[in-house]
Amino acid sequence: MGRDEFMKQLERLLQNLPSAEREAALQYYNDYFDDAGAENEKEVIEALGNPARVAENIKRDLNGTAEGDRAKGGSRALVEYGKDVPEGGGEGGQGTAEKKSGSTLPTWAIVLLVVLLVLASPVLLAIGASALAMLIGIVVTWAALIFAFGVTALALLAAFGVLAVVGIWCIAADPLIGAGVIGCGLICGGVGLLFFLLTTAMGGMATPAIWKAVMGLFRKKTPAKAHKGV
Amino acid sequence: MTFNTGAALLDAIVLAVVSQTPDGTYGYKITQEVRQVIELSESTLYPVLRRLQKDECLEVYDMECAGRNRRYYKVTSRGWAQLKLYESEWRQYAEKITGLFEGRMQFSADADERKDSTECRER
Repeated sequence: MGRDEFMKQLERLLQNLPSAEREAALQYYNDYFDDAGAENEKEVIEALGNPARVAENIKRDLNGTAEGDRAKGGSRALVEYGKDVPEGGGEGGQGTAEKKSGSTLPTWAIVLLVVLLVLASPVLLAIGASALAMLIGIVVTWAALIFAFGVTALALLAAFGVLAVVGIWCIAADPLIGAGVIGCGLICGGVGLLFFLLTTAMGGMATPAIWKAVMGLFRKKTPAKAHKGV
Repeated sequence: MTFNTGAALLDAIVLAVVSQTPDGTYGYKITQEVRQVIELSESTLYPVLRRLQKDECLEVYDMECAGRNRRYYKVTSRGWAQLKLYESEWRQYAEKITGLFEGRMQFSADADERKDSTECRER
C-alpha cells in the first residue's frame, strides 16, 4: 500500500466525522508524509499501521472529549481548570461536551434552543430569584434566632442579678419574702444559663459546622478529582 | 518503558516539545522529538495535538514551505500557563516518588500510631 492508497482509505474511514475534523486530520497526515519525504514513505506507513487504526485513534479521542471520558478528562481538568480559569467552569469537561454537540446540531435546532432559552428566561430568572430569597431568608432567620436567644439569656441573667440583690435587701425586712425573691432570681438565672448555652452552641458550634458542610458540598467537585488525578 | 504515560503527562510532554520552538513547529518534527523522549506509536500524536488545539493550548497556522502549505503548531499563552502548571505538578510528583525510593519520605505519624496501638491492644 502506497501513500495515496493510505490517504484514500483514511478519508473513507473518517467520512462520518464533521468535515472540519476530517479536513484537519487529512491535512495533518498529508503534511506528515510530505515532511517525512518520499524516500521514507514505506517506513511511515509501516509505523502508522493500517489506516483503520489511525482512524480509530482519531475517533476515540473525539468521542472521549465529547462524552467526557471521566478518568482522562478528570485528571486533565484538575491541572487545567484548577488554577487558571479565566472563562469559568464552562470550559471544563461539560463545556467541551456542549461545544461538541453544538457543532453537530443543525442550525434550526440551535435557533430553536436560543428562542426557547430567551422565552424561558423570565421563568428561570424568577426561579433563581426566589431560590436566592429563600436562602437569604434562612440565613437571616438563623441569625435572628441566635440573636434573640442571646438577648433572652442576657435579660434573664440580669434579672437574676437584680432579684438577688433585692432579695438580700428584703431578707432584713421579711426573711420569707426575701427568700422567695432570691428563689425567683435563681430560677431566672438557671433558665438564663440554659439560653446562654443554647446561644453559644448555635453560634459557636452549629453555625461553623453547617458552614463547613455546605462548603464541603461545593468543594467536593474539584479536590475529589484532584486526589484521583495526582 | 515500564511506566504508562497517561493523557495528562502526554499533553505535558507534547506542550513541552512544542514550546522548545516558540515560533512554532510542525507535526512530523513534533512526533520525532516526542519519540526521542517516550515510546509512542506514530498515530497517537495527532489526537493529542488536536485536543490541545481545542483546549486553546496550541494554535495552528499554515505557512508556505517548499511549494506547499505546511501546518505549524505554536504554544498559546494559555498553553504556557498550562505547561508551567504541569511542570510544577510533575516536580512535586517526581520529588515524592524519588524521596520514597531514597528513604527520605516522611510518613504522617498519627495514622500509623493509631493503627499500631490497636494492634497492640488486640494481642
